[in-house]
Amino acid sequence: MAQADIRAARPLSPHLSVFRPLMTMVMSIVHRITGCGLYFGTLILAWWLLAIAAGPDAFFYASWFFSSWIGVLFLFVYTWILLHHMLGGIRHLYWDTGAGFDRASRNALAWATLIGSISLTIIVWIVGILVR
Amino acid sequence: MTMRTSLGQVRGRGTAGQGTAHFMVQRFTAIANVFLVIAFIVLIVSLTGKPYVEVRATLASPLPALIILALMLSVANHMRLGMQVVLEDYIHGDLSKIIAIALNNLYAAAIGIVCIFAILKIAFGG
Amino acid sequence: MVQLTLPKNSRITEGKVWPKPDSASALREFRIYRWDPEAGGNPRMDTFYVDTEDCGPMVLDALLWIKNKVDATLTLRRSCREGICGSCAMNIDGMNTLACTKGYDEVKGAVKIYPLPHMPVVKDLVPDLTGFYAQHAFIEPWLHTVSPTPQKEWLQSRADREKLDGLYECILCACCTTSCPSYWWNGDKYLGPAALLQAYRWLIDSRDEATGERLNDLDDPFRLYRCHTIMNCAQTCPKGLNPAKAIAEIKKMMVERRL
Repeated sequence: MAQADIRAARPLSPHLSVFRPLMTMVMSIVHRITGCGLYFGTLILAWWLLAIAAGPDAFFYASWFFSSWIGVLFLFVYTWILLHHMLGGIRHLYWDTGAGFDRASRNALAWATLIGSISLTIIVWIVGILVR
Repeated sequence: MTMRTSLGQVRGRGTAGQGTAHFMVQRFTAIANVFLVIAFIVLIVSLTGKPYVEVRATLASPLPALIILALMLSVANHMRLGMQVVLEDYIHGDLSKIIAIALNNLYAAAIGIVCIFAILKIAFGG
Repeated sequence: MVQLTLPKNSRITEGKVWPKPDSASALREFRIYRWDPEAGGNPRMDTFYVDTEDCGPMVLDALLWIKNKVDATLTLRRSCREGICGSCAMNIDGMNTLACTKGYDEVKGAVKIYPLPHMPVVKDLVPDLTGFYAQHAFIEPWLHTVSPTPQKEWLQSRADREKLDGLYECILCACCTTSCPSYWWNGDKYLGPAALLQAYRWLIDSRDEATGERLNDLDDPFRLYRCHTIMNCAQTCPKGLNPAKAIAEIKKMMVERRL
C-alpha cells in the first residue's frame, strides 16, 4: 500500500465518548447552549414588543400566552437561561483580565456560575410574584 | 489525499488579519449587556400584571425606551457575533458556511430592526 | 457539519480478553484500545489482567508488563519513564496524561486506556502527531532579532527571565492540544494550546524582537480565536502548566496593541 493510502485508512481515536466531562468543560458547552437558546428566544421578545406597539388586542393575546402555564414555564426557563449565560459571560470577562486560571479558581467559578444562576432565577421570580 | 507538506497545510492561505476586532466588539457588547439586561429584568418585573395602558406609557417614557433601544442594539450585535463563532466551529463546507453566516446576519439584523421599530412606535407613534 | 460521532472505520468493537496470570492475588483490570494497520478492520478494546505485585506502580509499568508477559504486539511510545520526554502521552481514565507519571492506584475500577483523542491512529496507542509538530514549527520557536549580534549574550534581567517560568517547561507531549474540543473540530486551522503556549513563550521573551510579526501571524479567527476558554488544556496538563492562561495573555496583547 502507498504511504498516502495507509494514512487515509487510519481510524480516528475516540474523543467525546472517552474524555472525562469536567465541570469547566460542561459549563463551557452550557454557556454555548444557553447562548443559542437566547438567540432564538429573542423572537419572543420581539413578539412582545410588537404586540405592545400594535395595540390592546395584540397585547391581550400576548399576555394571555404569557400567563398560561406553558408561557410561565417558558419565561421561567428563559430567565434561568438568560442569567446563566450572563454569569458565564462575566466569568469569561474575568478570565480576559488574566485572572482566575489557577485550579481552585477555575473550578470554583464553574460551580459559582451554576449555583448563582439557579439562585438568582429563584430570587427574581419570588420578587416578581411578590410585586404583582 | 493531499501531498502538501504538514507545514504547508498549517501555513494555509496566511492569516486573515482580523479576529481581534470581532473579539473586542463581542466583549464590549457583553459588558453593555450585563447592565442593560439587569435594567431590563427590573423593568419587566415591575410591569408584570399591569394593564396595557400602563405598560405602554412606561415603555414610551424616555428611560425605559432608551434602555430597550440600547439593549436591542447591543444584543443584536452580540448574538450575531456569538452565533457566527458557533457556525464557524461546526460548519466546514464552504457553501454551507457562507449560507449559514448570511442567514445569521439576516436574522440578527431583522430582530434588531423589528424591535427598534416597535419601541420607536411605542415611544413616538400612536 | 462537524462529526460528533466517530467515522464508521473508527467505531470500537469488543476485543480479546487475555488470560489472567496464575497464582496471582493482586490483579488489576486494564482495558486497552487496539488497532493493527496490517490486520485492518475496526479498532477494538482488549482486556488484560496485570499482577500488580510483579509490576511497578505506574500505568507505563503495567503496559510494559503486558508487553513483556502477555502480548508482545501491544504498541506504544515511551522513553524516559520519568515524565520529561512526553512520549507516553495517552488518555488514561478519561484524562490525557503521561503513562509514566500516572499511578494506576489513582484509578478506580478498570483502567481504561485510549490514544490521545481525535487523532489518526498509527497503531494501538500511537497517534500521528505530524500536524501537531507542524503547528509548533509554524510559530517559529526560536529567537528573532534584527539588532546586531552582541559580543557575548543577549542580556535579560531576572524579572524578565521569570516571565518564562511556566512556559519553557512544556515537553510537547500533546496532552493539552488533544484535550481541546475546539482542536477536535478545527485542528487543521486552529493552532491548539501547545503551539499557542510556545508562541506566548516567544512573545514575552524580552530578547525577542519580532513580537509584532508574531502577533500579526496569530491575528486570525481560526489560528488563535478558536480558543473559547473551555479550559480542558489546563485541567489535563501532566506538567501543571496553564496554556489557557497563556492564550488569554496573547488575547490581551492583541487588544492592548490596538488601544
